[in-house]
Amino acid sequence: MSTDTQQSAEERARERLVDLAAEFYDQMASGEIPQLRLPTRSKSNIEYDEDAGVWVYGDRTSTRTAKSVGGARKLLKASYAVEFLVRQLKQDRSSTLRELYYLSESWDSEQAAFNDQSESDKLVEDLEIVTSVTREDFHMRPEESGATLIGPLRLIEQTRRGEREIHCQEDVGEGGYQIPNNPDTIQFVDHDIDFVLAVETGGMRDRLVENGFDDGMNALVVHLKGQPARATRRITKRLHDELGLPVVVFTDGDPWSYRIFGSVAYGSIKSAHLSRYLATPEARFVGIQPTDIVEYDLPTDPLADSDVNALESELEDPRFQTSYWEEQIELQLDIGKKAEQQALAARGLDFVTDTYLPERLGEMGVL
Amino acid sequence: MTSFQTELGGEAGVAEELAESQRAISIAEFFEKNKHMLGFDSGARGLVTAVKEAVDNALDATEEAGHLPDIYIEIREVGDYYRLVVEDNGPGITREQVPKVFGKLLYGSRFHKREQNRGQQGIGISAAVLYSQLTSGKAAKITSRTQGDDRARYFELIVDTDENEPEVRAEKETTWDRSHGTRIELEMEANMRARSALHDYVAQTAVVNPHARIELREPGLDDPLKFERATDQLPAETEEIRPHPHGVELGQLLKLIDATDSYSVSGFLQEEFTRVGAKTARNVLNAFRDRHYGREMSWGHPQADETDLEVAVRDAVANKTSEATAAFAAGVADRLRSADRAAHGDVARAVDEAANEIEDAHKETFGTTVRENAVVAAWSALTDSDRLRADCHRLVDEATSIRKDDSAVEALSERLVEKFSEDDRHRAPLDTVRAYVDRSADPVEEAHDEVFGDTARENVVEAVWDVMKTVDDEVPRVRDVAGERDTASGLLEAMRATDILAPPTDCLAPITAELVEQGLRKEFDAEFYTAATRDAEVHGGDPFVVEAGIAYGGDLKAEGAVDLLRFANRVPLVYQRGACAITDVTKRIDWRNYELTQPSGSGMPQGPVVILVGVASTNVPFTSESKDAVANVPAIEDEVELAIREAARELKSHLKRRQSLDRRRRKREVLSEILPEMADKVAAVTDRERPNVERALARIMNNVGVSHSAENGTATLQVRNHSDRGEELEITAIVDAEPTGVADGASLVEMDGEWFLSWEPSVGAGETAELTYELDTDASVDLQVDGVTPEKLTVGGNR
Repeated sequence: MSTDTQQSAEERARERLVDLAAEFYDQMASGEIPQLRLPTRSKSNIEYDEDAGVWVYGDRTSTRTAKSVGGARKLLKASYAVEFLVRQLKQDRSSTLRELYYLSESWDSEQAAFNDQSESDKLVEDLEIVTSVTREDFHMRPEESGATLIGPLRLIEQTRRGEREIHCQEDVGEGGYQIPNNPDTIQFVDHDIDFVLAVETGGMRDRLVENGFDDGMNALVVHLKGQPARATRRITKRLHDELGLPVVVFTDGDPWSYRIFGSVAYGSIKSAHLSRYLATPEARFVGIQPTDIVEYDLPTDPLADSDVNALESELEDPRFQTSYWEEQIELQLDIGKKAEQQALAARGLDFVTDTYLPERLGEMGVL
Repeated sequence: MTSFQTELGGEAGVAEELAESQRAISIAEFFEKNKHMLGFDSGARGLVTAVKEAVDNALDATEEAGHLPDIYIEIREVGDYYRLVVEDNGPGITREQVPKVFGKLLYGSRFHKREQNRGQQGIGISAAVLYSQLTSGKAAKITSRTQGDDRARYFELIVDTDENEPEVRAEKETTWDRSHGTRIELEMEANMRARSALHDYVAQTAVVNPHARIELREPGLDDPLKFERATDQLPAETEEIRPHPHGVELGQLLKLIDATDSYSVSGFLQEEFTRVGAKTARNVLNAFRDRHYGREMSWGHPQADETDLEVAVRDAVANKTSEATAAFAAGVADRLRSADRAAHGDVARAVDEAANEIEDAHKETFGTTVRENAVVAAWSALTDSDRLRADCHRLVDEATSIRKDDSAVEALSERLVEKFSEDDRHRAPLDTVRAYVDRSADPVEEAHDEVFGDTARENVVEAVWDVMKTVDDEVPRVRDVAGERDTASGLLEAMRATDILAPPTDCLAPITAELVEQGLRKEFDAEFYTAATRDAEVHGGDPFVVEAGIAYGGDLKAEGAVDLLRFANRVPLVYQRGACAITDVTKRIDWRNYELTQPSGSGMPQGPVVILVGVASTNVPFTSESKDAVANVPAIEDEVELAIREAARELKSHLKRRQSLDRRRRKREVLSEILPEMADKVAAVTDRERPNVERALARIMNNVGVSHSAENGTATLQVRNHSDRGEELEITAIVDAEPTGVADGASLVEMDGEWFLSWEPSVGAGETAELTYELDTDASVDLQVDGVTPEKLTVGGNR
């Protein structure tokens, strides 16, 4: 990525933000009630984008207006945030989402301060949607998620201290290479990867590294660290799109983990406006599948009520309305059990690398 | 006494011995021992009661004379005693009356009157005199000057408690600066511990007597407490009335009967009661007859049987010419034929009328015996049992449901006819008719397996009672009623059952809702006032009116229970709150329905509220002689509740309105903070001037926005109505340069170099009105807008 495009992205971001402010300005000046129209951000308003193969927001919109005190407050906060972002871009600085939350405390209006960070995070997402600019271009970054990858990949990272060329096996410790907040500053140089394995839990990732899975299978192991951060999803997508690598996702066998897979593959509901940029629709689910629980007779926990509710809600989630997922979820509801990735250890520490993964990946045609 | 007698057996002389120590006690002596009954139970209380009695008297006297009361109250410490002075500007009291008014208990002009007055028994002020003489030993000092007299008279007097007669200690002519009025000076053992009750009494008196000017000086006050007059309107003059028939009780009725000069009950009713004229008296008498004698059953008489009747009458007449006999019989039959149904009384009347006619025409005498025989013959011809059964069957059949088995109905009718035949004249009062029906229905139910329920039976009773006829018999005379308790109670029932107009209310002088509100406004600094006056009702023959007023908010204390001001005939009741019907009623209302706090849904509500309740009556029922609390009379309690609820409903809608305005105000406050801040930010980001947010704000608040703008010498006043109803505004723009080209709709006035441009547009919902004129662009403009509540108004600046 050249410096030119970087600058124009910032410029564009700034322009869009000023446009938004101007819209508010014009509404007020003409005696209209200031308002902001956004796509409705709920499960019921996401639809499948055939071309991109991802789930994006549908046509339904909600309007935030100053008619109510709550709505007016939101618009005020938006105006303050816009002003802050414009200034930040002008000064070529950046800040984290958390910093924005704390910064609002120092604003001269009490009404504009955010109640909690989820509010400011959501506002930044709103701004992304109305301006069609990603928050990275606002120079807003999340806290480091600490997600890592390890495997036979050589890349160049643009750091504030200059370019660094890194080999993600040889130049890193056992912890792996830490994915930067804006993975678009990375350039892939070359690689020896056969497939990308995204792993939910740290324990399983460490097991795979200890067993030399990345080395032995030419796998790039990406640690998702729970619900994956945008950077993790973005780099996964780039690995797939730019290097043409198959991506598989390996999680626990419970409803929450299926959602992790969903957000990698289809895009999350919260950031459906970025699905085209973040989601990897070709990503495939390795397991733990409910059928694995039965087949490998894994040690299990019973489904809690909340698990059942989550599964039932997934049955209604348009992203999971495929015959594969319906079958798996109904099976799980049937057996009433869930299993963790580590449950595989019940069959020995090497079971996962020697038996389970090769078998599953073989079935899936990845190996 | 009983125990004495038993113990002493038949010993002679003891009763005589006892009798020696038994003697009548004077009323004064009695009250000397029972001071508490009159409100003089302690020094603190005694002082307040004395003030109250003197002030009540003063108000009554001035009002009666048509003067606006001007009352001066002074309390001063004099050695060990307190000296109370009360002066009024009333008509004064004549020389002869002064001693009796102040020195004789139970002397007064009002006790026997049904007219609303503060004082009723004539005890109060003389009791105060008595209290003062008992505690200080000093005589009461009275000064009175009657209107037109150039001198006043001064008296010193005490009550002779043995005789209940005044004893004048000194009397002389004197001068007095008031042109007329009365002054009483009492010295008594007292203390000021009841100061707050005293102040309450005076302040509350001022509330319900806004036409009075009252001044109070007492040792605890640096400056006198002055209550100024708020209106020149005197309360309506009251008329004396007689009791109302619906309100008397048996004992009272007997007393009235005892005392009346009337001979007939009709005369008695018209003479002694209000709202009874000849017509009403007749209605009462008929109702009385129905109760006293019962009604007579009337029977239908089909045409076919007329010959039988005529024949029977003819056969019953003996020793008269056949011509006269035939004419007589035909006359009787003709007369009975003209009515659908005939009762025994109709037959007797027909016989009498026919006989009189024949006597005139045929010069033949139809004596009592002949007439009686004819009546018996005609009546028995008419009451042939088969016919009666058929007639009764028709009646019962119509009155009961069609599903009843006909044989059962027939059996019931047959029995009913038998019952009526128990009396020769088929007479029965309503109770007896009801018993007839019951006694007939019970065996029929058993025999015919048919049910005659309460409703069916009552329907039959009603149908029968309906065709029964009130008898012609003379009603008992007054003296007969007096002797017979049952007869009297029949009369009382008849009085109550008859529709009679409500009593006139000109005997009452309620404060009126308007003055209640005015009084509250005068004494309490609140944000909301309301008042309600009920229509007059009756209890115990005395009409009464209940009024209620409520003041809310403002400077009223917000913590704790509300203030309840009770009044009886405009006199504040400051003691025995807990024993008062007004308090009971107030507590049992669920005030939470009226948006007030009331922790358990009963008891005194809480909040910044004053509730005023006044009962005006020719005879307010008090719980005791000291007149501190209204007795729990259901009729009065009901009215008190309705009056309070009426006022409370107004309060509720005010509070609702206020809540919604409050919400609107808060919303507007927050929004008028948020929107300008937002405007500043977006102006900063876009690098433009700050936009005017007033119009957006007005639109959000559904408000009426008024703005003024000037450009290139043309000024525009703009009214945008964002609300959902039309608005009428009065707008004044005050400018410091002369506006020109002002349109016709607006007026322009110049004053001291400022021009007042007034404009009164009416703007429909969602519409905008504009006024343009020429104005120097540098001129400054001030806008004043009326006609719209501030909560709904947004006034924009001079931009």
